[in-house]
Amino acid sequence: MADVGDNPMEFNIKEEMKKEHLITGGTFACSGCNPVLGIRLTLIALGKNTIMINSSGCMTLTATWPFTPYKIPWVHGAIENGGSVAAGILMGLKAQKKDKNTNIVVYAGDGATYDIGLQALSGMVYRKEKIIYVCYNNCQFANTGHQASSATEKYARTSTTPPPIGNPLPRKNMAKMMALNGADYCATACTAFPFDFIKKIRKAATMKGSSFIDLLAPCEPGWLVQPWETLKAGKLMVETGMWPLYEIENKKITINYKPKMLPVVKALQMQGRFKHLTEPQVTEIQLTVVKEWEMITKGRFWEAEEY
Amino acid sequence: MIEIIDGNASAAWGARRAKAQCVPCFPITPTTEIIETIAAWKAKGEFQGEFVQLESEHSAASAAFGASITGARVFTATSSQGLLLMHELLPIISGCRTPMVLTTVSRCLSAPIGLWPDHNDTLAMRDAGWIMLICETNQEVLDSVIMGYKISENKKILLPVIVNMDGFVHSYTRTEVDIPEQKMIDNFLPHPELEIKLDVKKPMTLGIPAMGLDYMKYRAQLHRAMLDSFEVVETVQKEWAKLTKRKYDFVEEYKLKGAKAAIVMIGANTTIAKAAVDMMRKKGKKVGLLRIRLFRPFPEKQIKKALEKLKDIAVVDQNICPGMGGILYPEIKMALSGCKAKITNYIHGLGGNFVAEQDYIDILNDVVKNKKQERKWQM
Repeated sequence: MADVGDNPMEFNIKEEMKKEHLITGGTFACSGCNPVLGIRLTLIALGKNTIMINSSGCMTLTATWPFTPYKIPWVHGAIENGGSVAAGILMGLKAQKKDKNTNIVVYAGDGATYDIGLQALSGMVYRKEKIIYVCYNNCQFANTGHQASSATEKYARTSTTPPPIGNPLPRKNMAKMMALNGADYCATACTAFPFDFIKKIRKAATMKGSSFIDLLAPCEPGWLVQPWETLKAGKLMVETGMWPLYEIENKKITINYKPKMLPVVKALQMQGRFKHLTEPQVTEIQLTVVKEWEMITKGRFWEAEEY
Repeated sequence: MIEIIDGNASAAWGARRAKAQCVPCFPITPTTEIIETIAAWKAKGEFQGEFVQLESEHSAASAAFGASITGARVFTATSSQGLLLMHELLPIISGCRTPMVLTTVSRCLSAPIGLWPDHNDTLAMRDAGWIMLICETNQEVLDSVIMGYKISENKKILLPVIVNMDGFVHSYTRTEVDIPEQKMIDNFLPHPELEIKLDVKKPMTLGIPAMGLDYMKYRAQLHRAMLDSFEVVETVQKEWAKLTKRKYDFVEEYKLKGAKAAIVMIGANTTIAKAAVDMMRKKGKKVGLLRIRLFRPFPEKQIKKALEKLKDIAVVDQNICPGMGGILYPEIKMALSGCKAKITNYIHGLGGNFVAEQDYIDILNDVVKNKKQERKWQM
């Protein structure tokens, strides 16, 4: 059992929010940055007996010499090895009998998770290492200037998938892949639903093996939304059904939030990265969402392609 | 106790005697036997450390980094393409001033793919900020792994160490090796508490970005630590000599007294070259040999002191930097700048190409006869 108390689901978030934050303000993050909010929520959920491993990306720049916002041990290795650096840390703690009551959490971007770091993540999950892996998913390689990753949605504009076509490929589904890879617990989450995310992190901390949480974290310059609208953008992604919130335990899926199923155009029109979409493309996205939502709610989750 | 073991087993015994706490690893020929040996010990309960096989050398190096920054003593090993895959992590490990010992079992690089030894893999790591010890015998491999931890964990240094042996020639060749008693090593090698590590009681932020001049300062400190390590390596080697009567130096001078021509080289083949020197000495030829043992930091002064009075020097490289020549050659020339010696480069033994005493005799005859300073291929 990691350090989340005897009954991890009994957790007074309001009380916890009043405590000292384990990541301070004043980082280099953009205004309206959701990934950095994700770190705050992760640390609210896990508390101070936590070691955080970062894979190269935007969040690497949160600590720049000689400043650090972290009040927990934090390390950055390289981009593709979040899973294996974490495995090494667990190995080192085990060897010194210090692994009890310590949460090990990887906080890596979608490029570092879906693409270049997939091997290290898969190895970590395969070996059932007791590590929580959080992917802060802003649907692109944001730190290098918003290039497409395999988490980028179909037709989205990135600097390597410019309009008029945008990204020709649909995204991978990492939570599903990791569930089949052998993770004890997999979930999707969104920064716009912080309580849901905190609950999932705390649940993950109780697992014996690996857990994977795919956290949709809107990015102001990447999604081309206003800094004050990033949370709204995330909320609309969930409410339109484009980012369903669910968890998978022993291949059993639980849908944690029933979206209002607003028309997808509501989410798409506020994001500059979808501005170039034609009407047939919007319709295609809408039809896919409706079809896949139906599949996951009617027991055909493993057949759905994107969700 | 004296045992007949090969180089791989020697390295494994080094890790066992040093009580390595974590062994993250990935198999590759000709290294695999090292990790197999440790795995077998672990299964029998003779090895107390954590043993984890990862999914690539890159991950093995990453896990080695992770384990070491928690304060654990880490050992791993690799070769050739595996070392190149680890390469990305090596400057990260040295940049974070993370102590550990990595045994590299030299094997030629692909393509064409080969299993046999040359030094292109290990020498490619020369700028990674690791202390590099290149061994000649199995005994030296075992000794260097143990000494490696003492050097690496020194508070003034905190740099990782590569201990190199040659594939096949070391790794699969059994020789007499003295395995020191555990008690002696426990006294020689206490495990110091690291000041910089990941600890929830004393949070630190590691591996962060540093911009502009701050970056320069970090690199300068790394360089400084490397230069400071000369002193530490010397002290540790002296202490080891007192304990075991086995003396090691930065460079090994072989019959250089009164020599006019000499071979400069590294690695296992030195033993064959020494035999060639003996044969020529018997015939009255004034020849000798210099083996570089400490390759990084580079012991310029000792090299110059050993070679400055010679007339003809043959730098024999078992590696090739295409478009330039041997890798040792320019380094030796740099160390000997201002000396009058004629320095010639010979490339031999690539991909484990067979070499015998006669090859070194030919090289020594050639370097004396030849009037021009040049680069040659000995095939």
